[in-house]
Amino acid sequence: MSPRLLLRLHRIGLIAMAYFGIFYVLVNSAAFPVIAGRTRAAQEAFGHSVTVLGAQFSWLLPLPVRPDTAAGYLQWRGYGFFAIIFAAWGLFSACGAVRRDEERGLVESWLSSGVSRLRLLVSRGLFFAALSAEIVALTGAAGWLGCLIAGTPADVAGLVGESAALWGLTLACFGIGLLISQLAVEFRAAAATGSALLVLMFLLDSIGRSSVHRAPFTDISVFFLFNQSNAVAPGGRFDLTATILLFVIGATATVAASVAFVRRDIGAGLIRTRGRHTPELHEVSSNPLLRTPIVRGLWIRRIGALAWTAGMTVTAASVVLLVNITAAFFASTPTLSPYLRGLPGNVHTVLLALIWLSFAQALVAIFAITYVSRWSADDSSGVLEMQLAQPVPRWGVLAERAAELTTTLTVMCFVAMAVILALAPAEDIPIDVGRLLTATALLMPFALTFAAVGALLAGWRPRAAVVVLSTITVISYLVFELGPLFKWPSWADDLSVFQLYGTPLITPVFVGGLIAMLAIVVVGFGSAGVALARRDVAA
Amino acid sequence: MTSAILTHGLTKDYGSGHGVFDLDLEIAEGEVFGFLGPNGAGKTTTIRLLMGVIHPSAGTATVFGLDCDRDSVAVKREVGYLPGDLPQFGGMRGSEVVAYLGGMRGGIDAARVKELAERLELDLGRRFREYSRGNKQKLGLVLAFMHRPRLLILDEPTGGLDPLNQQTFHRMVGEATAAGSTVFLSSHVLSEVEETCSRVGIIRDGRLVSDMTMDKVHELRFHEVVIEFGGEVPEAAVRAAAGVEDVAVEGTRLTCTVHGRFDALIAAISGHTVVDMVSKEPSLESIFLSYYSK
Ligand SMILES: Nc1ncnc2c1ncn2[C@@H]1O[C@H](COP(=O)(O)OP(=O)(O)OP(=O)(O)O)[C@@H](O)[C@H]1O
Ligand SMILES: [Mg+2]
Repeated sequence: MSPRLLLRLHRIGLIAMAYFGIFYVLVNSAAFPVIAGRTRAAQEAFGHSVTVLGAQFSWLLPLPVRPDTAAGYLQWRGYGFFAIIFAAWGLFSACGAVRRDEERGLVESWLSSGVSRLRLLVSRGLFFAALSAEIVALTGAAGWLGCLIAGTPADVAGLVGESAALWGLTLACFGIGLLISQLAVEFRAAAATGSALLVLMFLLDSIGRSSVHRAPFTDISVFFLFNQSNAVAPGGRFDLTATILLFVIGATATVAASVAFVRRDIGAGLIRTRGRHTPELHEVSSNPLLRTPIVRGLWIRRIGALAWTAGMTVTAASVVLLVNITAAFFASTPTLSPYLRGLPGNVHTVLLALIWLSFAQALVAIFAITYVSRWSADDSSGVLEMQLAQPVPRWGVLAERAAELTTTLTVMCFVAMAVILALAPAEDIPIDVGRLLTATALLMPFALTFAAVGALLAGWRPRAAVVVLSTITVISYLVFELGPLFKWPSWADDLSVFQLYGTPLITPVFVGGLIAMLAIVVVGFGSAGVALARRDVAA
Repeated sequence: MTSAILTHGLTKDYGSGHGVFDLDLEIAEGEVFGFLGPNGAGKTTTIRLLMGVIHPSAGTATVFGLDCDRDSVAVKREVGYLPGDLPQFGGMRGSEVVAYLGGMRGGIDAARVKELAERLELDLGRRFREYSRGNKQKLGLVLAFMHRPRLLILDEPTGGLDPLNQQTFHRMVGEATAAGSTVFLSSHVLSEVEETCSRVGIIRDGRLVSDMTMDKVHELRFHEVVIEFGGEVPEAAVRAAAGVEDVAVEGTRLTCTVHGRFDALIAAISGHTVVDMVSKEPSLESIFLSYYSK
């Protein structure tokens, strides 16, 4: 169980958290003067608007405190929002550490090397504790730096306290994840149960915040405990007891998980479900979908595809419902309203375009990355070798992968589009159907750009593909976000794929960008074909 | 007639002496070729070169006259392949894996799949993840045999199979050759090669050290014979007999080794009272061990 291997196992989480933790915090605090304005009066007006907006968002985030300062804004926009992301990171890392590594046979080989189960679980917990401490600390440092850049240094003691609470939240969720994973047999089941539990605790906290009644058990909701502190905001407070309780929850859950781990069988859950007795089957499956090119991949991965489509749809629906609240916020914020007036068209349409497309871009990019991750997994698990043992050319396998991805993307995006079209009239948001169609269609070349780069990486160095692609994506996104802020030259902006996509809902299609994306797709998949053909498979 | 498999100077150099070097093999159609060697000798590497999964550093390999690297798609149309490490198909059911990979090949003989699964007693209704090691191996065998390929390339086919299923496998190989197929199988289990193969090649440290027909192997064979006489021991006659060596006498008991046929020995002892006679055949193992250690 070398630290290097553990680090490798946690790599995707690390990349994501490095982005969310460090960059997101840095951007949101450093850019405060740009968003809020540089004069005191402008910042106060901004703070007022955020307070109004914050009240409407109180079911999601705790109420903002002193949002007229960089630190207060960071507390609300950064740490408030992070609770969810860090909690999810803790949960999924724990489920992965238990179920994924068990599926891979790692747990068995570690145990057979003489490590006791108790030690195994505890050392995984300690490793994650160290890892998350680092990310949380770096996040805090980024926030401190951002506030410094913004010209209003943050209170160090407050940042330390808030970081401690964030760390406690992450570890509590990790512990809960460890415990839940002992019960389920599959990663998917563990992650789903855990997510449901987190959502429940999140809701308990929201209900407690936005109504006079506090539901039972609210006090042990990890989100409630975390939100007791808002130490980054000027005049905010740090709740030591609540923070300690978070660590206690984490430790208790880990101990309970250890007990369960010691008692259960490896490769099984604590609660054994006895499978239905089915008679032996000697026939090949007669499902025609499994024998049809492209459709077979879709069928095998149907659950994932459905989940992603559902996620896209829910996001689309939420965006439509949020447009009017956000528009009111923009209109009442002096620093933001000129920004809106500068854009062509109806304010609501513009906002829908900006918010929806930024979500959609992020989602399809991540979706493309998960596909690339599977492609490189197929290589190391021997599935590719077995596919190639059939009389199919290597480029055929590649083409089928691309076609399957495109099909799933198309379904995802157009279903989400249909939802927007259905809901927008009720919210009084005028929509240009033609433009929405174009914008949705443009998401395909956009996502395929990532997939093409990923396919090239997976065809060339499958092991490094996911890490490299995620890094490129994060940098690309940062260039896109930071470019306008720091007034970089436009050629630098165009290096970002997000920029190449343009804003097709409100401005004409960025033809140059489209050509560039198509060129990357063609060249990327073409070179991926060459790389795959020349490479030794699974070696 | 083109050879089923033909390699010329086939080399895959992984550096620091690992890989396969200068392999010259020729396997005729209808042969069952056993590819033997200790761990890390280069068996799997050779097989993956034949399957076009990895590219040779030098040399060529052809299957039925088709280049394994350039025409690998055409090669695979003729080949049924069992990899040394079966891939992870996760939560897919056995029947789905067969349909999926069979679908990629195009056309599945459902009756043939059923027959194979029944003979191997493989439950195709279960998930791949739940399969035992032997079950996974059986699924691999179904996948390799189901389209009645002209050439079977099997990497350690009996790994994980119990003796009963090994017998089934041997019969399956016998039927395939009776139907005109060629078989190339790797193994460290010599008894398995002895039972099924018409020819064996021995690879060691990436080089072919021996390649001979099974008949030749039988010729190399010798027997250790112990004879208990009821009276006089015909020592001189036995010593003079052709193919008889290492003669030793102890009281009324004579021990010797016999190479090739027994005729000369039997002629030498005829007319004498034989109380007991035991002929022990050393395993192929010890014949080959002398090759390995050379
Ligand atoms: N991808 C690779 N990179 C580097 N070296 C390799 C690679 N694949 C195999 N080797 C080396 O080549 C040699 C031959 O390996 P191979 O797998 O062909 O052996 P084998 O005869 O199949 O052994 P076994 O009986 O254990 O299956 C070994 O020394 C192995 O370490
Ligand atoms: Mg091998």
